[in-house]
Amino acid sequence: MSSEAKVPVLQMRHISKRFDTTQALDDVSLELYPGEIHALMGENGAGKSTLIKIMTGVYHPDDGEMLLDGKPIRVTNSVDAQAYGIAAIYQEPMVYPDLNVAENIFVSHRSQGAIVNWRKLYEDAEKILAKLDVRLDVRMPARGLTLAAQQTIEIAKAISLNVRVLIMDEPTASLSAHEAEQLFKLTRSLRNQGVAILYISHRMEEVFEIADRVTVFRDGRRISSLPRIEVTKEKAIRDMVGRKIEDFFAKSKEKRGELIMSVRDLKKANVFSGMNFEVYRGEVLGFAGLIGARRTDVGLALFGVEPADSGEITLHGKAEKIRSPEQALRLGIAYITEDRRQIGLTMPMSMASNISLPMLRQYLSRLGLIQTHEEDTTANHYRERLSIRTPSIHHPVGMLSGGNQQKVMLSKWLNTRPQILILDEPTRGIDVSAKAEVHQIINELATQGLGLILISSDMPEILAMSDRILVMREGRQMGVFTREEATQETILAAAMGQPSGTMEDA
Amino acid sequence: MMDQLKRYFRPEQLREMSLIALIVFIFLFFGSQIEGYFSPRIFNRVTSDVAIIAVVALGETLVLLTRNYDLSVGSIVGLTAFFIGKQLTAYADMPPGLAMLLAIGAGSSLGLINGLLVAYARIPSIIVTLGTLAIYRAVLVAYPGNKIVVINDLPPWVSEFGSIQLFSIGEFDIRPVVAGAFVMFVIFQFVTTYLRFGRQLYAIGSNPEAARIGGLPSQRIVLSAFILCGAIAGLAGFLYLVRYGNLNTAAAQGMELKAIAAAVVGGISTNGGKGTIMGALLGALMINLLQQSLLRWLVISNFWVDALLGLLILTAVFIDSVIINRLSELWNRRDQEINPLDEKKTIKEKKSNAA
Amino acid sequence: MLRRLEPLKSWEGVLLVILIGIVIFNSSMTPHYLQFQNQINLFQLHIEKVIIALIMTFIIINAEIDISVGSVMALAGCVMGYLFEKGLPFELCVLAGLLTGALTGAFNGFMVAHVKMTSLIVTLSGLIGYRGLAHVLLENRSVGNFPEWFDRLGQKPLVGPFPFALILFFLLLIIALIILQWSGAGRYVFVIGNNSEVARYSGVNVRRVKMTLFIISGLVSALGGLLLAARLGSIRGDMAIGTELEVITMVLLGGVSIFGGTGSLFGVLLSILIILNLRNGMGLLNVPGENQTGVIGALLILSVLGPNIWLGISESWNRRHVQRTRVGEEEKGG
Repeated sequence: MSSEAKVPVLQMRHISKRFDTTQALDDVSLELYPGEIHALMGENGAGKSTLIKIMTGVYHPDDGEMLLDGKPIRVTNSVDAQAYGIAAIYQEPMVYPDLNVAENIFVSHRSQGAIVNWRKLYEDAEKILAKLDVRLDVRMPARGLTLAAQQTIEIAKAISLNVRVLIMDEPTASLSAHEAEQLFKLTRSLRNQGVAILYISHRMEEVFEIADRVTVFRDGRRISSLPRIEVTKEKAIRDMVGRKIEDFFAKSKEKRGELIMSVRDLKKANVFSGMNFEVYRGEVLGFAGLIGARRTDVGLALFGVEPADSGEITLHGKAEKIRSPEQALRLGIAYITEDRRQIGLTMPMSMASNISLPMLRQYLSRLGLIQTHEEDTTANHYRERLSIRTPSIHHPVGMLSGGNQQKVMLSKWLNTRPQILILDEPTRGIDVSAKAEVHQIINELATQGLGLILISSDMPEILAMSDRILVMREGRQMGVFTREEATQETILAAAMGQPSGTMEDA
Repeated sequence: MMDQLKRYFRPEQLREMSLIALIVFIFLFFGSQIEGYFSPRIFNRVTSDVAIIAVVALGETLVLLTRNYDLSVGSIVGLTAFFIGKQLTAYADMPPGLAMLLAIGAGSSLGLINGLLVAYARIPSIIVTLGTLAIYRAVLVAYPGNKIVVINDLPPWVSEFGSIQLFSIGEFDIRPVVAGAFVMFVIFQFVTTYLRFGRQLYAIGSNPEAARIGGLPSQRIVLSAFILCGAIAGLAGFLYLVRYGNLNTAAAQGMELKAIAAAVVGGISTNGGKGTIMGALLGALMINLLQQSLLRWLVISNFWVDALLGLLILTAVFIDSVIINRLSELWNRRDQEINPLDEKKTIKEKKSNAA
Repeated sequence: MLRRLEPLKSWEGVLLVILIGIVIFNSSMTPHYLQFQNQINLFQLHIEKVIIALIMTFIIINAEIDISVGSVMALAGCVMGYLFEKGLPFELCVLAGLLTGALTGAFNGFMVAHVKMTSLIVTLSGLIGYRGLAHVLLENRSVGNFPEWFDRLGQKPLVGPFPFALILFFLLLIIALIILQWSGAGRYVFVIGNNSEVARYSGVNVRRVKMTLFIISGLVSALGGLLLAARLGSIRGDMAIGTELEVITMVLLGGVSIFGGTGSLFGVLLSILIILNLRNGMGLLNVPGENQTGVIGALLILSVLGPNIWLGISESWNRRHVQRTRVGEEEKGG
């Protein structure tokens, strides 16, 4: 559906914003029409979130103006934004875990009286959820809800405030395909009700499924803005990156080596069961599935963070019970988490300290003191090998960009000399060129003889990178496909529970 | 019917019910062990003691809900008690009502200082109140004149205050202190359940970051919580003076820990956002009841009281963190459906799984 | 980045300036102030607290807290006193006291590390409970009449003018300094304090580290209790009340963040010197003990207020003139 209204709800005109030495936005203009889903694409650092922050009043533009219904406005803080009907929802929903759903929806309403009318609160909450065609127990504390449900609360919040411009920043990043579909349904319904939606996403398929219009930013400038039908994926990528990226999913055909690990009947009560697979040297075993399939849990079990209850893990012929990360590391298993901010890196500490951490014991002198020159040597080695951009290895890693942080995490685990490396959503939330770099590194690692388990919800990624694909659904193994057998349809079918195609047993 | 029940009784409320059950159990148990347990005298002794600490716990709860601590309440109670005592010694004709208001006013200003430092100067509350704990006690000690308040120097109504009978239920007199404390709890339970301000306390404790970004006037609310806590502690100081009459510089020392213990036993989380005012009351009641009962129980020496108290607090929080959380998880897992469409899908899947 | 390091550097710098100021003021009031013996006496009065402050530093950096230290001091002392009353050989009683500390520490540590309860609540229960147990043992009595070597150790100098406890403190200080700043164990303490999940996912045995810290805390507290008993020549159930707050103040004033992850023993040492000299000076002015504590409380608040005001000023200056940006592009999610 394309925009029919002539007057945009929100217009950003010639917006510029500078930080220190960086020009985050350079004479950027954007129009949001009511009843239109406007996708904004661009690499990290292209200026997308700066623009959002200006729209919601967190930042103020150096130059340019904002027009609401054609009239100039100033958004100085979140209160203004709310008053103008501008709302934003992000990848991580901000809910109050101890308050119930209804309260969460209305908590930031400025028009509320001093006394809370609970019955009306529940009724109003149910009304809004009904408008979204969603069923949730409004009395339930938000703590117990899934991420998707929490996001629904955020949207309900926005609707309750009569939102006119809804900004959605990577909203599906933590959702399963199924939940994302629900979110799209909501989004379309909002659009049909006349809301202007600015949709930011790294996921090409999503954008092309849902958007009416596509705008691409690069290096703080607007490169193109066209109705979706006039845009192709290649053009979008070209605009985002500024150059052609050749085959960034290229996978070198290596022969697979000896068997490293074999897993039989691995089970963890109420989490997963019946896991049977092998990991070979030089091979990438992809773990596909919808979110909730419990792939991460299997990874955590192999790494000893959340050990399995029963089943056999055999490494080089020897049966092992992996009960702690310490033990896993000693066995040569390493796990790279999907959540680098919360559990991946110690942000205030330097790159050198982060990288040496799992292997710290090996950097200690006989008396137990840390040998910093050896640490530094290691850090420099990885800085070069993975092209990590940082002013110095002693810089706190919190100050690095997402892509570079990911590389530091990779270094940290490569440094443990693993035989098996489990990567959990390694390219989530990083931009296209960094993503290509990571894929290259994965290929190199496979060539060097590592066994890799790649957990990913990015279908093209997993199809392109894996030698074999294991599909999971709700904690159960649905089958293992070879590279030849695996297509988007067969994988998806298995992930959703309908057997189709050939299914290899382990 | 099960669904109706589920709607209104969440695991969090189980907490309060189990507290009530425990209190009843303690009551009955010691009643069978101790002579004259159910006498009016014991009733008065217990309830008057509980009243003061419960009131302090009430104020402390307001601060705890916002994910902050007020370690200075003991010093506030002591200082206001001492201050009012000194004033009454000097001006014997001060009306009791004025004395009470003066206490509340003094407490509020002390709480204001705490609140400003925490909410606006952004100093962690542990540090601020650790400091004011010492500072306020120092002010108490530095108060001009001799370092004690003597009951004989105070106007007669002070000692009579405690014996006034407001009304009686059968043989049991309800003293004004007790009635007043109870009324306060009812008021603040109302505040935290029905007043927007009260709900905002929970919001801030539950997710301070979201509160800040989401446009809640966090600073003002936290400041108010500390002022209220101080005011209530000031009132408790007045009650303390009335109860004990003779004061020295160590008055109410250590009360903050007892207040926190009472709140925590009553279900208030030190992480903020959870627990109810009534729970704090029950916590204070239970701790004190147990304490008073153990003191009169001849089976073990009085010296065991504190040791058992420590164990009690630990057990109460243990139950909280381990059992209640587990229950909540189970309770909530059933209600995960987001969309009617989901239902159709799950039914289809269930069918195909069975096949 | 350097800008970020500066506040930390200047914290110790400010402490140093304050310390020098206090010493100058004090010595201008009494001619004997800077004499060796006086300085030693300064320490002796609070030597137990100062020793416990060393382990408390580790615990707070690890994002935990132990407010039961005073009660463990009393309990360990009372265990020793009780067994001594019963006629057990004194050396055994001392050992029993130390063991008590280790056991309480193990209990605290178990609750925090394995049962995953908040350390504030666990040690709050301990503060009340352990002291209760101390009272159960000794009730209202006091125990004294210790063997001569014990009293001598506590009250007379051991090597030259230095008493045993002071020598012990210096030794422990050096060991603690080396461990915290330069050893792997020290780094683990920092990492766990900053983010215990990251530590866990990186193969650090978080439970073992926390358990060890609490056991050491219990042991050192017991040691403190015994040293106090030696110094005073007697043990009572209500000894060492209020110790925990003083110790924590020493650590926080030294620049250790209550949230964990940052801090240094050098700052804590300066803070200890400040507090001791301040107390001494005020004592000379006949300022009562509680008022001394009040001044220290004010100092604690100012120590955080000052930097906050400074940061607030520099932040608003930055916002107006210059904006910080991340290295290698990017804003969050961007």
